[in-house]
Amino acid sequence: MRNRGKGSEILCKVTLAVLFVLGIVLILGGVWGNGQFETAGFSQENAFSLIYRLTSESDALYRKGIEPAIRQSGTDAAAMGEISRELLVSAWGGEERVSEALGETSGTARTERELKLLAATYAMGGPKIKTAQRKQLAALSAQDRGAMMTAILKTLSGDEQPLPGPAAELCEGLSGTEKTAMLMQIFLTSANMDGEPLSSDLVSELKKAARTEDMRITAYTWAVEGRMNWFAQVFCSAGKTFVLIGILLALDVLILFFWLLAERHWKLDVKWMIILLIADFLLVFQVLPTVNLVINAFFPDGRFSLSTIERLYTYDLNLSALSNTLIAASCTMVLGTVLAFPLAWLVGRTNLYGRKFFRSLFVLTYMVPPYVGAMAWLRLLNPNVGDINVALRGLFGLGDTPGPLNIYSLPGLIWVLTTFYYPYAFITISRAMEKMDPSLEEASRVSGASPLKTVARITFPIMTPSLIAGALLVFVSAASCYGIPSIIGAPGRVHTVTTRIIDYVGRGSEGMNDATGMGVFLMVLAIIILYISDFVVAKRQYITVSGKSVQPNIVDLRKWRKPITALVALFACIVILIPFATILITSFKVDLGKSLFAEGNFSFKQWTTIFSRDEMIECMKNSFVFAIITATVGIVVACTMSYLLQRTKIRGRKLPDFLITLGSGTPSVVIALSLILSMRGDFGINIYKTAYIMIIAYLIKYLMMGMRTVVSAMSQIHVSLEECSQISGASWLKTMFKITGPLIFPSIAAGWFLIFIPSFYELSMTTLLYGNGTKTIGFELYEYWTFTSQPMACAMAFAILLIVVILNFVLNKLTRGEFSI
Amino acid sequence: MSSVSIRNVTKAFGDHVVLSEFNQTFEDGEFVTLLGPSGCGKTTMLRMIAGFEKPTSGEILFGDKVVSSDRVFLPPEKRGIGMVFQSYAVWPHMTVFENVAYPLRIMKMPKDDVTRQVQEVLEIVHLSQYAQRIPSQLSGGQQQRVALARALVAKPELLLLDEPLSNLDAKLRESMRFEIKEIQTKLGITVVYVTHDQTEAMAMSDRVVLINRGKIQQVAPPAEIYDHPANQFVADFLGKVDFLSGEAGGGCIRLDGIEQTIPYDGERVGRVEVAVRPERITLSTKEGTLRGTLVNQYYLGDVNDCRVQVGEKQLRVITEPETYARMKLGDPVYLTFREQIVFDEEGSLEDKLKIVT
Repeated sequence: MRNRGKGSEILCKVTLAVLFVLGIVLILGGVWGNGQFETAGFSQENAFSLIYRLTSESDALYRKGIEPAIRQSGTDAAAMGEISRELLVSAWGGEERVSEALGETSGTARTERELKLLAATYAMGGPKIKTAQRKQLAALSAQDRGAMMTAILKTLSGDEQPLPGPAAELCEGLSGTEKTAMLMQIFLTSANMDGEPLSSDLVSELKKAARTEDMRITAYTWAVEGRMNWFAQVFCSAGKTFVLIGILLALDVLILFFWLLAERHWKLDVKWMIILLIADFLLVFQVLPTVNLVINAFFPDGRFSLSTIERLYTYDLNLSALSNTLIAASCTMVLGTVLAFPLAWLVGRTNLYGRKFFRSLFVLTYMVPPYVGAMAWLRLLNPNVGDINVALRGLFGLGDTPGPLNIYSLPGLIWVLTTFYYPYAFITISRAMEKMDPSLEEASRVSGASPLKTVARITFPIMTPSLIAGALLVFVSAASCYGIPSIIGAPGRVHTVTTRIIDYVGRGSEGMNDATGMGVFLMVLAIIILYISDFVVAKRQYITVSGKSVQPNIVDLRKWRKPITALVALFACIVILIPFATILITSFKVDLGKSLFAEGNFSFKQWTTIFSRDEMIECMKNSFVFAIITATVGIVVACTMSYLLQRTKIRGRKLPDFLITLGSGTPSVVIALSLILSMRGDFGINIYKTAYIMIIAYLIKYLMMGMRTVVSAMSQIHVSLEECSQISGASWLKTMFKITGPLIFPSIAAGWFLIFIPSFYELSMTTLLYGNGTKTIGFELYEYWTFTSQPMACAMAFAILLIVVILNFVLNKLTRGEFSI
Repeated sequence: MSSVSIRNVTKAFGDHVVLSEFNQTFEDGEFVTLLGPSGCGKTTMLRMIAGFEKPTSGEILFGDKVVSSDRVFLPPEKRGIGMVFQSYAVWPHMTVFENVAYPLRIMKMPKDDVTRQVQEVLEIVHLSQYAQRIPSQLSGGQQQRVALARALVAKPELLLLDEPLSNLDAKLRESMRFEIKEIQTKLGITVVYVTHDQTEAMAMSDRVVLINRGKIQQVAPPAEIYDHPANQFVADFLGKVDFLSGEAGGGCIRLDGIEQTIPYDGERVGRVEVAVRPERITLSTKEGTLRGTLVNQYYLGDVNDCRVQVGEKQLRVITEPETYARMKLGDPVYLTFREQIVFDEEGSLEDKLKIVT
């Protein structure tokens, strides 16, 4: 016995040593290979500059975008070329790369190429010109347009010219590279009124080409061809990947070694492998990108510098975005909580009519994509044609002036954020209210306090920690929301940190650094709030959330019962019924400006299109596939983690738990941004613009939703139930399948849906991460809304709503009524 | 004024009647226990006295003041009572002092008086040194005493206690039992105490109101209710009991399935039900009224708990611990009932004893 123990101890130590050495070998080999590659003169950066020479897309780009521009602008081609070249030099940061990209061309061909590159540089992202403004530009006469374009080009070259109406309006409040990008957009749009100067497909192809592995490999091959043996080539072409794997391996072995040392029991446990595997995943895809993001913000050129931060936070537009974000989030928090507390109390603790119905109704909003709300309110409160505005004008005889309400404003933004984020507070508060011991209130009543005094002195103070937790959740969700401000804020020039980040990212590699600078702000904000709510407020929590539900005592509203029910119903109408109805109605309209019942204005066209157009079906399929994969992988990890957390005392089990909590608290935009920054080859992994990166992003953001559900279910099942099964002779596996599995099945199903649903219609991360073949329904909807057809977008939105409601129903049936969202 | 009169109170939730035709007066300074199995309606009765529930019909009076009737309904805060809850209901966001001072502060009593009165009552419940603690730092027993102090601080004349000891461990429960009784005697207040624990009821009460299925079964002081139960249910619920059915007549009862007789000088004739307490049976190896065989015995330290086979029946007999060593299984033994209760047989016994929950 003793000897066998000794034997396994030696085996264990040897295994560890071998693995450690292997890790070191991988690191050293990877570093050497990468070094070889670098000395060959092909750093990744150089590979980037090759792109314009190598991609055939540039020709297509030229044909579709630049040629008509040159033809129509009516300016001197040579002068234009000159201006373009200067701009390119300043944008690319040097003469050398520009010359390299231009190659041995001359004359018109050269000019064309210069313009092409310039367009590619500026038009890849940047501020988009909305349909309304495009119409304004189209309204200009050909002569005016020509004059405007000349003025733009001169302004771009440094010779500031007064710009005519529409252009000046568009550039208002912009400066620096932002203004340049906008001018370029106006220029290109004016040149080609039919559509975008560059199709979004082309732009994304171009972006992708800049970063695909193929490019790198081509570059490598060129560099190492004929000069190295196969071993060197393998290490050279994947040097960074080997370093990454080596570091992880060595790190894991070290951690394992110290755990075993502390345990004094030299046996390799599968549980440790699982923990380390999950931790490795999170380390690579969550911690590394986040750290890289911070480094990128503070070390723009490899040296510590606050220049990015300084530049960003002294720029008016960013400052206004910052203050808008803080004001909007704070107001939403206050308003949302002020709404949620009485609603939670009325629904949970009084004899309000239809309490259960209202409860499910308010909770359901939680599962609706926020941008759908934004779209609905836009239709309702548009200053010119919003239905409510039209109705109000008619009612008060205000004539044809715009208003009186304007959704394109900070209050408008706050209103929509509130209607979509108050359920977060509502759920937190009503859950706590259900768990509160009713005799705490009764004790106050017998002590002589009236019901109102009891609410003020007992109920409210005891609820305070939950109230704060709910409020903070609303704050951080509102601050990191992208869908709503992008739809409402952008046209109204109400920028927020998230919309600014996405604008910056759209501007290519230069914008990335600025985006990270803004991202860091959002991340720090989120982390502070996460810390407060998880570690400070939770400590003062009086109500244990996992405790049993008690039958709360119901307050009789007496004569107020009917009026208050009417009030709650009115509220539900305003925040839920009217917006959703608007979406449905709009989805059948042909002409947005007319009533649905106007002659010939009703059509099923949108609905038939969304279920027949290939592009739509493709997006729908992508969304389903990604969400199913995310939810399935997520729930497996969630179950594993729940088991480790609830049933073992294994060392290190809290580490992945902590990381998962942190991940879910990180704003979506920041997750996506950090993934872009770190997952395009710099660290040996290149999954940019692939389905993997999207699934990983969804996992990081939504894994916790599933995990919490399963963990709390497992904590309710006493371990003796499992022990009893084992005593009866069932193996561990059999126990899991026969006892634990069936008992927590409803929670597993609920957890799966909780990951599936938000992944299905996700927008903020998708906007940053989608590639040509990985567009999802959420993003497609957003594009249709912004650039093509609002009724079509509404049809899609309503289809998404239906899917959510149906899934909710399925879940309810599947768990026999125990769960619905 | 602190007597409580309950007149014809019925309480129904929908069609389900939980308490019917409750009539009872609790006298000033009396310690009354509402006893019964869970779900019998005792807590509902207490909550109606407190004002948390409204009777479906009937009246409740404090002294001669109507607090609840068809026309009048005083909410709990206007009834001037003290109450201790099963879960203690000590407010977690206040210190012990603040918890106890709450009723006085609601009354807007001057600050100095509050401090003095709270200290007094904390003295009574032995918590003076814990005044500044927050409830989560206290043990269950201490929280219980905070709840008691809070209920007593406003000097109510009526104190309601809803299973206050059921969450405490056995030892603590026993000491709290006497503590509560002592405080009640000292302050001379009326106490209505709800419990399902018969020992608690026996130890503390002046009178026990035994309820089952929403109906009062018997109201009597502990000794009387134990010795002279009004029906089989009362006999069974309080203490241990052996039931035997038989035929009465001619100065004796012939027991079914035993085919032996016991002497009987009561008035009943015909089918009867005999209830006998195991500790009131004399067990002897030499002589007695019934002859049987010892089939099991358990040494419990203070007593010897035996099972004796008599004919087809098995009787439980509790006897002195010394007998354990003297007897062995299979020995013939003789039983004599020192005391027995005889009821008329009405329907099946099982049905009678069933507890509705």
